[in-house]
Amino acid sequence: MTAKRLSAPTLLLLPAVLVLAAVVVVPLCLSFYSSFTPFRLTRPETFFTFIGLRNYRNILSDANFWWAFGRTVLLLTIALNLEMLLGLGLALLVEKASRGQRLLRTIMMFPMMFSPILVGFQFKFMFNDNIGLVNNALQSLGLTQDAIPWLIEGHLAFIAISIAEIWSSTSIFAILILAGLLAMPKEPVEAARVDGCTPWQTFRYVTWPFIMPFAYIAMTIRSLDVARAYDIVKIMTDGGPAGRTELLWTLVARTAYSDARMGVANAMAYFSILLSIIFTVYFFKKLAAARTQIGAEW
Amino acid sequence: MAIVSLKKLTKRYGNMEIVHGIDLDVADREFIALVGPSGCGKSTTLRMIAGLEDISAGTIEIGDRIVNDLPPRSRNISMVFQSYALYPHMTVRENLGFSLKIAGAPKEEMDRRVAEASAILGLDALLERRPSQLSGGQRQRVAMGRAIVRDPDVFLFDEPLSNLDAKLRTQMRTEIKKLHAKVKSTVMYVTHDQVEAMTLADRIVIMRDGNIEQVGTPDEVFQRPATRFVAGFIGSPPMNLQEATVDGGKIVFASGQSLPLPGRFKARVSAGDKVVFGLRPDDLYPAGHGLHSGDAADVHEIELPVTVTEPLGNETLVFAEFDRRDWVSRMLNPRPLKAGDRVAMHFDLSQAHLFSAETGKSLRR
Amino acid sequence: MDANASARLKRRAGVVAHRVGLFLAMLLICLPGIWIVLSSLRPTVEILAKPPVWIPQQVSLDAYIAMFSGVGKGGIPVLDYFRNSLIISVTSTVIAIAIGMAGGYAFARYRFRGKSAMFLGLMLTRTVPGIALSLPLFFVYARLDIIDTHFGLILAYVALNVPFTIWLIDGFFRQVPKDLAEAAQIDGCTRWQAFWQVEFPLAGPGIASAGIFAFLTSWNEFALASQLTRSINSKTLPVGLLDYTAEFTIDWRGMCALAVVMIIPALVLTFIVQKHLVGGLTSGAVKG
Repeated sequence: MTAKRLSAPTLLLLPAVLVLAAVVVVPLCLSFYSSFTPFRLTRPETFFTFIGLRNYRNILSDANFWWAFGRTVLLLTIALNLEMLLGLGLALLVEKASRGQRLLRTIMMFPMMFSPILVGFQFKFMFNDNIGLVNNALQSLGLTQDAIPWLIEGHLAFIAISIAEIWSSTSIFAILILAGLLAMPKEPVEAARVDGCTPWQTFRYVTWPFIMPFAYIAMTIRSLDVARAYDIVKIMTDGGPAGRTELLWTLVARTAYSDARMGVANAMAYFSILLSIIFTVYFFKKLAAARTQIGAEW
Repeated sequence: MAIVSLKKLTKRYGNMEIVHGIDLDVADREFIALVGPSGCGKSTTLRMIAGLEDISAGTIEIGDRIVNDLPPRSRNISMVFQSYALYPHMTVRENLGFSLKIAGAPKEEMDRRVAEASAILGLDALLERRPSQLSGGQRQRVAMGRAIVRDPDVFLFDEPLSNLDAKLRTQMRTEIKKLHAKVKSTVMYVTHDQVEAMTLADRIVIMRDGNIEQVGTPDEVFQRPATRFVAGFIGSPPMNLQEATVDGGKIVFASGQSLPLPGRFKARVSAGDKVVFGLRPDDLYPAGHGLHSGDAADVHEIELPVTVTEPLGNETLVFAEFDRRDWVSRMLNPRPLKAGDRVAMHFDLSQAHLFSAETGKSLRR
Repeated sequence: MDANASARLKRRAGVVAHRVGLFLAMLLICLPGIWIVLSSLRPTVEILAKPPVWIPQQVSLDAYIAMFSGVGKGGIPVLDYFRNSLIISVTSTVIAIAIGMAGGYAFARYRFRGKSAMFLGLMLTRTVPGIALSLPLFFVYARLDIIDTHFGLILAYVALNVPFTIWLIDGFFRQVPKDLAEAAQIDGCTRWQAFWQVEFPLAGPGIASAGIFAFLTSWNEFALASQLTRSINSKTLPVGLLDYTAEFTIDWRGMCALAVVMIIPALVLTFIVQKHLVGGLTSGAVKG
């Protein structure tokens, strides 16, 4: 009827919806439209020229785009899986520690506080071929005489970036999985041990199913934020050498701001958004399934 | 004068109707227990009275005011929750005085009423503690104290004892009874425990599937259950209930065994009627071990095999097989019996109940 | 007997392996941070020395002094960046928390149609990569003439933080039993009073951690800030750090010092919230 009849939840959610609409949804609609134009920042009148799907056709036939896309997916696959595994390992290590749990947990959270830009800088410093910690250590230990060109050779740079990415995000997994381990009732594990399960079997059939939802929460949170890798890459290699570490996001930034080709960049950006959304929805579904599986309410 | 009056009170969630238009009048200073199995709508009814659930249809009156759409705070009620719902960030004193503070009562009055409630419930030593430092029974008392301080028209209790262990529950039950004697207020008390309802209430409301099955004093619902459901629900151990068919002057069971049809039912049934025969364990006992004080003519003796015995000290529950089923019997002044013994059992038919198998309604009167 | 002895040996070995593993893991986590702090304290010659100098010979705070004495080395106005970062992060956090509290409460306490779809929808707005969002925002902001202003960045960060804040605060309100709010209403509170008197104080620590989390997100954000800021009017620390790397001769020591300045507030705040943060994220994952 009138505004008075707006229900309480509607009213409460209104500010959130308004802000997000203004800052995210509307601009995205705008950029969606502009992905159908040859829009260049330097020539505003091009905003109103409609060219249909030409931008999309162009980027789909652009090898550089596909390389960046493939590299992004590869980086995410490697990083997310390793982060999950390492996080699990770290959580198990810390959970088993009998003393100093609090201190260990705090240290474990350490990388979370680092801005990605700082992570990038840190590892740029450490992987520096001339004065970096890594090369210094390798040389001092006599493992190599050469200055390994970590950030200068394509494959090595990709590895260096992956390491930085994994270092910065493993702790999210570790913390949440540890929370799961600590929340877990002790009896089922004890019952399994008495029933003759090996440690591995106990983990596989009792512990893991219980902490799975926690791992999915971590995955979901991570997937909200996968584009953080942009910051790291931007500062470590800026997509170089010669585009060998170019990710979708750095490519978008370069196309938009260096080349000023907004229309094309927006079209690419939509691929990156789609990628993020797929990741998030996927893990959200998994999370919901895992929750119902252990009979929690949602 | 009714202080709480429910008229055609109905609750629906979407298409699901949870409470089907119930009517109930609660007199001033009366202790009413709402009892029934879980999911029978008793808690929903209480929450509607409290104003915590919207009413789908019907009316609720408290103190001669229709309160259907009033928020909880304007209904002049207080409520004790199953979880106690003590505010964890306040001390016991603050918990007790919270409602007065919200109402803007002057400091002296607040202190006085908190002191009163605290004295009644013996909380004086605990006033500066926080809920997390209290035992279950103490929390329970604080929750009641909080209700008393408000001096409401009606106290609502939502399964207040179900979080306590068995021993403490019995103790708190007595305390609630004493409290009611002292405070003399109207109480609506929801429980799934029929013993609680029997011991505490002036009148019991037995609910099932969103309907009221029977309203009556503890005596009435025990002695004259209106339906088969009430008969089975009230009383511990529960009444023996078995389907049978009326055949002339007899009640014939499926196995062919039969009992004489008590005279008072003769006008109410005719041959071929399907009925449910009910007999409390107190009225079925090994010869010489019962409470029987009625006419010997109403006692019917059958020799039955014992299957299990459960000695309780002052009495023994004897399970004996009749019509291919174990019937519970209460043996007073017990003597040793063991499984397989054949015992002469007395059926005191003056106390027997008969229900229509079709409607479940009592065939008495 | 023999089986017992070998089992005991195995267990001892397990304990040792566990200790070593734990130590190595913690070392790997701490190493980059330690290295940065160390480098910020040593003179540039030592950092550049070949063969490397492992044990610091000279330790000084020169880099920090240089940085905070007006315009730091290399013409980088660290103080301005620091102020911008602080203003933008704090303001956007306060607004995001206010909005997030309303939204989180709605999710925790009300049932309404399309609830989970709504929740997912809100989260999805968060998944939009900063760089992808920066394109249209840059365009819109340029039109509105709010590029390189505090307001522009604050608005963007509020939007960035609201979804996650709602998630966290929803979790914290769920931990406050519904009974308590109901009891308060029976005790004479309006819903509004019940919220402020009972639910808010109880969810308070959680809400504070959500706030700190939002603060850190703003404090650390780079992708949006790098495009929406231009000058000392609004440039934040992460963008300022890039100023250093953009130069050809990198002042490693100065950068390390700036990095330490950036990390310390984050470190302190994270330390404060670590306990609650995890609670908010995982509530609802298990019953209770």
